Amino acid sequence: MTVGRSELRRDAPDKVTGAARYPADGFPAGALVARLVFSDQPHARVVALDIERARTSPGVVAVFTSADVPVNEYGLTLFDQPVFVGLEHTGRSPIPCDVSRWEADNIAFVVAESIEAADRAVALIDVEWEPLPVVADIDAALAGSTLIHPENGRDSNVYHSYKVCKGDIEAGWAAADVVIEGTYEFPYQEHAYLQPEAAVSYVDDAGRVTVEVAGQWTHEDQEQIAHALDLPRDDVRVIYPAIGGAFGGREDTTLQIVMALASWRLAARGERRPVTCRWSREESIVGHHKRHRGRVVARLGATHDGTITAVEADGWLDAGGYNYTTNKVLGNLHLGVAGCYEVPNARIDSHAVYTNAAIGGAFRGFGGPQAAFVAESQMTKLALALGLDPVELRRRNVLRDGSIGITQAVMPDGCTLPEVIEACVERAGLDEPLGDAPAFSPVASLAPAEEAVRRGRGFACAFKNVGFSFGFPERCEAEIHLHGDDDDEIARVELFHGGADVGQGAHQVFVQMAAEAVGVPVERVHGQFSDTATSGDSGSASASRLTWMAGNSILGAAEEAEKRWRDGDRPAVGRFRYTPPPTEEMDPETGACVPNFSYGYVAQAVEISVDVETGHVVVDRVTSAHDVGRAINPALVIGQIEGAVVQAHGYALSEDLQVRDGRILNPRLSTYLIPGIGDIPRRIEAVVLELADPLGPWGARGMAEMPFITYAPAVVAAVHDATGVWFDEFPLTPSRVLAGLRAAR
Amino acid sequence: MIPAAFDYVRAGSAEEAVELIGQHGEEAKFLAGGHSLLPLMRLRLAQPSVLVDIGRISDLSYIRDAGDHVAIGALTRHSEIEHSDVLAQHVPLLAHAASQVGDPQVRHRGTIGGSLAHADPASDLPATTLALGATYVAQGPGGTREIAAADFFESFLMSTLAADELLTEIRVPKMDGAGWSFQKFNRRAQDWAIVGVAAWRRNGAAGVGLVNMASTPVLATSVASALAGGASIADAAEQAAAEADPTADLNASVEYRIHLAKVLTRRALEAASA
Ligand SMILES: Cc1cc2nc3c(=O)[nH]c(=O)nc-3n(C[C@H](O)[C@H](O)[C@H](O)COP(=O)(O)OP(=O)(O)OC[C@H]3O[C@@H](n4cnc5c(N)ncnc54)[C@H](O)[C@@H]3O)c2cc1C
Repeated sequence: MTVGRSELRRDAPDKVTGAARYPADGFPAGALVARLVFSDQPHARVVALDIERARTSPGVVAVFTSADVPVNEYGLTLFDQPVFVGLEHTGRSPIPCDVSRWEADNIAFVVAESIEAADRAVALIDVEWEPLPVVADIDAALAGSTLIHPENGRDSNVYHSYKVCKGDIEAGWAAADVVIEGTYEFPYQEHAYLQPEAAVSYVDDAGRVTVEVAGQWTHEDQEQIAHALDLPRDDVRVIYPAIGGAFGGREDTTLQIVMALASWRLAARGERRPVTCRWSREESIVGHHKRHRGRVVARLGATHDGTITAVEADGWLDAGGYNYTTNKVLGNLHLGVAGCYEVPNARIDSHAVYTNAAIGGAFRGFGGPQAAFVAESQMTKLALALGLDPVELRRRNVLRDGSIGITQAVMPDGCTLPEVIEACVERAGLDEPLGDAPAFSPVASLAPAEEAVRRGRGFACAFKNVGFSFGFPERCEAEIHLHGDDDDEIARVELFHGGADVGQGAHQVFVQMAAEAVGVPVERVHGQFSDTATSGDSGSASASRLTWMAGNSILGAAEEAEKRWRDGDRPAVGRFRYTPPPTEEMDPETGACVPNFSYGYVAQAVEISVDVETGHVVVDRVTSAHDVGRAINPALVIGQIEGAVVQAHGYALSEDLQVRDGRILNPRLSTYLIPGIGDIPRRIEAVVLELADPLGPWGARGMAEMPFITYAPAVVAAVHDATGVWFDEFPLTPSRVLAGLRAAR
Repeated sequence: MIPAAFDYVRAGSAEEAVELIGQHGEEAKFLAGGHSLLPLMRLRLAQPSVLVDIGRISDLSYIRDAGDHVAIGALTRHSEIEHSDVLAQHVPLLAHAASQVGDPQVRHRGTIGGSLAHADPASDLPATTLALGATYVAQGPGGTREIAAADFFESFLMSTLAADELLTEIRVPKMDGAGWSFQKFNRRAQDWAIVGVAAWRRNGAAGVGLVNMASTPVLATSVASALAGGASIADAAEQAAAEADPTADLNASVEYRIHLAKVLTRRALEAASA
């Protein structure tokens, strides 16, 4: 048995000693050096662009602009962004390229002999802008007359909407004894992965334009490059070396297309030296998308005994200048905003809005954290209004096997949220009185005056889909080769898989699952991963799907290979494409659909202390309970839980991305404050249940996003418990908390 | 970003350092621990053409009992101040404040001379030595002179030190038996202060220094005189911002800084009086 064992990760020694090769570690000697030039214009029209001085500057090899891209457009689910903003393109994209809609829109890609030569050339690019009104936020986008994408034919910056109409909403309000209303604002979050963007590109021996880069889905990167360069997919190759974190931040591309373009164009001129590019932290923070900020106005009604009768919600996500994955994130927010409860009557409207602010996109939880902040804050407020224990209110309404969800579909079998809630209550001791905690962190320098400390605790629970939703094509491919002599002993197993190990340990889990599937010791399995030249399409490392989907693909490939083995093939090769049960797009009027095929479940309890004189909040204890179906590698599961809690801690309390007039004001880790070792919760207890998902490989469920989702609402509820003040907006920075406490006095 | 190009020379003694800085003129700068200068250079807010490295002048790294005061060499690292027995006995406030500077890596590189010469109002040791009534010793081409801490800080990142003067020693009056407290409020543990307060009390006298409450470190004289006039700690602490002139930044508004200064001053005085 290797499934279920905390095997040491194979990549651990190299990562700990520094031997692991991340994209910027693979830069070949003698390579060219490139810089991607941002427009630095949140909203402006290009009037003149002259690259002549840059092109002829000493040491410059080439300067690429919009005119060089065959199909000058990009977009994961909707083409709405030019690869380069510029005066002109080939005419093969309908998106006007002469407008910069984001401060990090690309204007040119400079390739030079050295970084100094590239830097000099960047300063010599002559560009003249006609300023356009900057649409700074959702309010401006909804109120103003400035359209960011007039080419889409809409008369508003709202470009994507979903509805839910379930039951009879009027009857729902009529039946309600208590109604809770709130307007919730949630902030941006930066991924802050350790490894800023970097890549090397070249044309390989087989003539393929090749990019080595950190991403989340090799085949999607390949597809996007092929589209822009108008090349057959097979002429493009994408390889992922070690990846230094992603969290959704690498779901959209950054350097991929421009690097491929450069190597492809240069090769045509006989210049075959590899091209390299690496971003600074500032470029990384400005140049990739963020967790969406946005707003939800919500109403929740219930009877005296705590039975939910109605939910209404109107939500808006700030997409920034381009869609990226906003339409998909919006779907998740839409699905989650009514919470993980049986809701007989509902009306929900959700909208994606273009602005010129930072781009919103994928980030661990994918709309789920924003939804849970709204739904769980509403539920705790309702419980207090009814005089019910917040957990008890949830017990009475929570989704269970056979429940019908908000889109009128039955929950997939194995809906174990009730069990997860009880496990959390028990471990956190929620039935016992809240004890004392030592005042504040040992590393934080400030020991508060004890009479100024208030303690409280909070609870929240949620679900999160595993796998792509709402009819998005979902599949995962694996290939297994069994080697050995003629006798029955399989001596060596080769696994080919595209799934990205973004740091979560996916490849370790793949290898363990392959060993288990074939029935050999794990040492005999050798993996080759994340290269479009050798591996099939895995889908992305996202949506908590990779263990689940890859496991099923590996099971299928192993079965296939074993069949061939029995037929005498040596090596015996099994290829398999796993396709899960289909999901459906929402009905445009009612939202009715089967949204997902699998879910993971989470319940969290937190204990906090607040210094009411300074507003400083410290989290003393977190209990995070999960049904993971089956922990393929328990140590990695616990690592994901602890990591997600720490990341959510920053989201809830300290990370405060400031964007003014379309520009990020704090693109540095000295001013954008991710938590340090002295700030994180003193105690994080992971509670891992293994209640099998009927469809999961060995029963496994996805789990890596779930611990993030409930943290902010649990902390907000705890602060209320401690102080009697609700915060419908976060992060709970000391100054915000203090202002809230004073306003309530 | 990476810093602009510069030349590098190393000084073996205080005299040599002063001579080298004189040779290279206006654009030259001393390099001690580099923990303030290098970040500025990386952001290109400073672009010295020559760095005179004084980091290995071991003669300037010491902590000595000098009778009525403790003498500290300018090249003494924060961690040495933090762990000094002499300071623990005679000026524990300074040792404790040094223990609150950044994280262990910073404290092993940064020097007290660099911290004072850099004259950053957000740094912990300028306000602390100011509250303690320290005297700084500077050596220039024409010899040495003493500068009272109260006369040293001019404006944001500017001191009365001449470009060719080297700080060599910090003299801190002994405070045996004084009550003391250092209150540092930061948004992230081991980070810079949003506001900090260094305070001591002894025999009716008091000193209060404020971190990050103006373009220079601040001596909160109104608090001390209120206490001397018999005011309660709570009332005296209300005067905490009287000499201050804080600015708003991404971390805190003016009002929040003033509020924190009062709360932290009250807590510091209570602790120092306990
Ligand atoms: C991540 C980080 C966190 C930090 N956190 C804190 C904190 O919480 N609190 C805090 O107080 N500080 C903090 N610091 C700053 C740290 O304390 C620095 O060490 C100190 O401010 C400067 O000392 P240095 O020896 O590094 O000086 P350098 O950076 O080498 O020099 C600073 C300036 O002083 C000049 N200089 C240096 N020595 C002399 C001398 N003997 N005579 C004349 N001029 C001289 C230099 O020319 C330069 O202009 C932090 C620094 C970092 C990098």
